[in-house]
Amino acid sequence: MRLVFDLATIALGAALTAGLVHIVAILIVPLYASNDAFARLSALGPINATIVLPQAAPNARLIPFGDPAVAAAFCRYDLRNGPLRVTAPAPRYEYSSLSFHTSRGGIFYALTDRAATQGKFEALVVTDEQLRAITARESEDEPSQELRIVSPTSEGFVMMRAFSEAPSLYGAAQTRANALRCQPEAPQS
Amino acid sequence: MDPVTKALIAAAIGLAAGLWSSESALRVTSGLDATRIGAWTASVDAGTPDADPYTRASIERSGEIPLALGEGLQLVARVDDAGVALDPRCVYRVGAKAPAARYWTLGLVDRRGFPIDNAAKRSVFRSSELLRDEKGEFSIVVSASARAGNWLPIGARQRFYLVLRLYDSPFSATAAAIDKDALPRIVKESCK
Repeated sequence: MRLVFDLATIALGAALTAGLVHIVAILIVPLYASNDAFARLSALGPINATIVLPQAAPNARLIPFGDPAVAAAFCRYDLRNGPLRVTAPAPRYEYSSLSFHTSRGGIFYALTDRAATQGKFEALVVTDEQLRAITARESEDEPSQELRIVSPTSEGFVMMRAFSEAPSLYGAAQTRANALRCQPEAPQS
Repeated sequence: MDPVTKALIAAAIGLAAGLWSSESALRVTSGLDATRIGAWTASVDAGTPDADPYTRASIERSGEIPLALGEGLQLVARVDDAGVALDPRCVYRVGAKAPAARYWTLGLVDRRGFPIDNAAKRSVFRSSELLRDEKGEFSIVVSASARAGNWLPIGARQRFYLVLRLYDSPFSATAAAIDKDALPRIVKESCK
């Protein structure tokens, strides 16, 4: 009888501990993931540089669930050096998209070529503080038309994707993706 | 048994069970917010700040860069229409319709999300390169041995998943609104 009671309390304690460990582990994984997409991209090159991702293939094992039909290039940014101006050509009738990712993996903005104006993407990535500084300087009569995107984190990356309609067009799609430009703007005082 | 020993045993078992269950949850589940439509599973909130903890943790670990809502939607099938796991020894017919989208692709990946090497060097079909019948419907054969027409090879005798990606689709933000009949069916034809 005594043994049964002992085993029951151990089982109960183990179950409670297991539940607690499970919840804590799931919640802290994103905080400590050192091998997430941002970390993997960081290993490929410096910030502000446009870097083409290899086409998804059996031997390209950096980023899983990539589409072999879609060429991709990215640039990392750090807004502590000032806002980031992002430009890329967006030819009509050819699918391309820009998405803006935080260093923690969240996506905070995206648009496709259909939303691009005059055949190109142009956006300014800013922090909350930088946006306030910019709008404070502007005249209220002539509000700027530029697309300003507030990044929730100071570090992150911009991803450009370009669709290839056939295997033979993949190279052209890669050239379009590689036309992504990320230039830091001098912090205005 | 004294209480300290009991507490230590309970803590040790609990720690092991907790870590094991977390690990397997991240390996197997597709998140709490995953939408299941027929054989297909979509995680609409993947990559958004609203993703549930399981989705977030599993994306962080895999290193995947999900499609944003504005870009498109990715659906993954681990099973066929009958709910049976996809088997490399079987022949599947995938078709005949796909949801409205500017483009879509159907790819075959291993369990970690990478294409599987095959002699035909084909791991994806684009909506823009498919052979279609006069009604505009299509049929893709997924099998290990070569087929005429739209053939997506299974390169190795290992578990595989099918990935359907919709680009510029009105369904991106509302996967739950996709009708089961609008998605390609995955029908097992035969097995070796």
